[in-house]
Amino acid sequence: MVDFARVQKELQECNRDFGVSGIKVIPKNEANLTQLLGTIPGPLGTPYEGGTFNIDINLPDGYPFEPPKMKFATKVWHPNISSQSGAICLDILKDQWSPALTLKTALLSVQALLSAPEPDDPQDAVVAQQYLREYQTYVGTARYWTEAFAKASSLNVEEKVQKLVEMGFPEALVRSALESVGGDENLALEKLCSG
Amino acid sequence: MEEDYYSMSGGSEEEEDCYSSDREDDSIYGLTNEDFDAQSGAPSKAPYSKVITRESLLAAQTEHLRRVMDLLSVREHHARALLIHYRWDVDQLIAAYVERGKSCMFAEAGVTVVEHVDLDPPETSSTVMCNVCMDDVPAKDVTRMDCSHSFCNDCWTEHFIVKIKEGLSRRIKCMAHKCNGICDEDIIKKLVSVRHPDLAEKFDRFLLESYIEDNKMVKWCPSTPHCGNAIRVENDEFCEVECSCGLQFCFSCASEAHSPCSCLMWEMWAKKCSDESETVNWITVHTKPCPKCHKPVEKNGGCNLVGCICGQAFCWLCGGATGRNHTWSTIADHSCGRYKEDSEEKAEIAKRYLYRYMHYHNRYKAHTDSFKQESGLRETIKEKIANLEAKDSKLRDFSWVTNGLYRLFRSRQALSYSYPFAFYMFGDDLFKNEMTTEEREIKQNLFEDQQQQLESNVEKLSKFLEEPFDEYSVEQVMRNRMEVINLSVVTDNLCKKMYECIENDLLDPLQFTTHMIAPYQSKGIQKAVELTTGWDAQISSNNEFHEAADQFNGTGQASTSGTSDDSEQLSRKRPRKGNFATNLIDLNLPA
Repeated sequence: MVDFARVQKELQECNRDFGVSGIKVIPKNEANLTQLLGTIPGPLGTPYEGGTFNIDINLPDGYPFEPPKMKFATKVWHPNISSQSGAICLDILKDQWSPALTLKTALLSVQALLSAPEPDDPQDAVVAQQYLREYQTYVGTARYWTEAFAKASSLNVEEKVQKLVEMGFPEALVRSALESVGGDENLALEKLCSG
Repeated sequence: MEEDYYSMSGGSEEEEDCYSSDREDDSIYGLTNEDFDAQSGAPSKAPYSKVITRESLLAAQTEHLRRVMDLLSVREHHARALLIHYRWDVDQLIAAYVERGKSCMFAEAGVTVVEHVDLDPPETSSTVMCNVCMDDVPAKDVTRMDCSHSFCNDCWTEHFIVKIKEGLSRRIKCMAHKCNGICDEDIIKKLVSVRHPDLAEKFDRFLLESYIEDNKMVKWCPSTPHCGNAIRVENDEFCEVECSCGLQFCFSCASEAHSPCSCLMWEMWAKKCSDESETVNWITVHTKPCPKCHKPVEKNGGCNLVGCICGQAFCWLCGGATGRNHTWSTIADHSCGRYKEDSEEKAEIAKRYLYRYMHYHNRYKAHTDSFKQESGLRETIKEKIANLEAKDSKLRDFSWVTNGLYRLFRSRQALSYSYPFAFYMFGDDLFKNEMTTEEREIKQNLFEDQQQQLESNVEKLSKFLEEPFDEYSVEQVMRNRMEVINLSVVTDNLCKKMYECIENDLLDPLQFTTHMIAPYQSKGIQKAVELTTGWDAQISSNNEFHEAADQFNGTGQASTSGTSDDSEQLSRKRPRKGNFATNLIDLNLPA
């Protein structure tokens, strides 16, 4: 059974210093604390700068004694992250997990992975090869993907509000729902439907 | 029993002569036939392999634990953690201790020995924050591990349960991030048994079985259904053993005893024989599927227009359906180019490969089958002996029959496995780049000469054992007896020579790969004996340690780390026997 008391505390603590870290974890659905959505800002000085990356978090029954399952919901071009599925290749999410780590520390590690790719232990072989052979092309593609997928929410937020309002939801509710899920249109819809 | 051979010494001079020459042979090869237990072939010397039953497992493990505990003056759980890290190899552990020092070795194995117990325990009234559940818990409910990290008991328990369920419990690490410390097994047992007594038991069993699972010198007997035993060997893991349940197996790869084949050769051979890949190969090369009924069709001659039994005609070159109008060179309304050279060549190669395999397989099979048939000989022989005994002649000793029969079985076995060996040794699958064609030819000739000599003698031995000697006169029996005794010695020597040739002249010079075979056991596959659980073998450990330390310091070469692949490979080869050079031609010398 997931230790929900700890998860609650983790969420509180993590969101308390959101201003400093820029890292946020929110439940996708208030009734179910095993499905969470994490958000990390792209690290400065990297092709991911300026982007906001959503990460799907799924807590297994044994949490925190088993590692949380994390994958990128936002498409990202990185040697250790699958460009297809968003799967993350990070040791602390596997055998190096320790119960003393938290969702926030794990997300910090993911953020650190964005700044320091390890192409020798790749998740996505295509990206890793590009990283090693044509570094400039890699930087270009990664930046383009950040622009295209990790910034869309801020630009088109009015469009999304409009769309959801047309579906019959009150505007105030739509705005707060969109905000709480980090701007993801589908998640906002899910939230609105579940009440 | 040796005297038994001579017990009918009323025999002729000639016989005596023959004997003395046999004795000489024996001394050369260090071989004595004196202690055959002919029925089972059990050797009387103390065997090097031991059977470890469920009951003696604890004792076997404790033996090692005691040594390390005495040597390093550590507690049992530390000794176990160290031994698991060093895969129960006490010598390697000592080497690491001498080379890298106590603290470094302990740190690598995740062992922290608390030198002095905390004298002022935290006040019982205070509360401590547990970094896992993030709750404030009373200090008395917190456990501090040797690595100095403390968490609350509930969290520790949960952590242990998850790890035991994962089956990774032989080395449960501390919960702190990046802490390499191994948790104290007593604490684990104590905490887990409160909530899950069954898991605590399981944990105990895992610890016990680590002696088998994590130890390269101990392996489970591969019997099905499992007999519950494990076998421990000393020194050499490339050997063949017999468990007390009766199963004989190769200790190295846990499949049937297969020497003089190496484990890799045997694995490949067994696979090849089971999937009949050659047959499939032949069919794909020699036939083409009929475009109508899809049966494989073989072309047995004639022109390129082939007719299937279903009545469909098709072009042999492209496999396409055609009409029946044709000449030798063309098919009406069909053109698909000319006959291709290379496809013919490919077929030729595949055919040669198949015939080669068939050659070796047939002989392997023939000897295996003979072996099975001769097992029935055992009963017939018993009858014959009974008949002879009933005759009330002066013949009283029949050990030569049983010894001969045993020798026949043993040699037959060696002979049958020598064929798959030869198939790979002189084929292209494994050693294509190891030898030039000329080298290979020379070696193959040498080996085959030996193999054929052995083969002809085995057949002769078989013939004499199958003779109806119970109907013979005393003189005839004596003659038969001489032959059997002679042939027994000869085949034993030939087997031994063949193994030596394989080990020293064929496998040892290999550059790129290492193939090890179990050494020839004249007396048969060794039966492992039950482990005795006495403590008399306990040596004064401190002395032993200092001796070991001196030895390692002296040579300075006993390193376990940093050996290059090359030297590792060399060290894996068995030291050559001193006398082999006198018996064998060194094929490495230029001809």
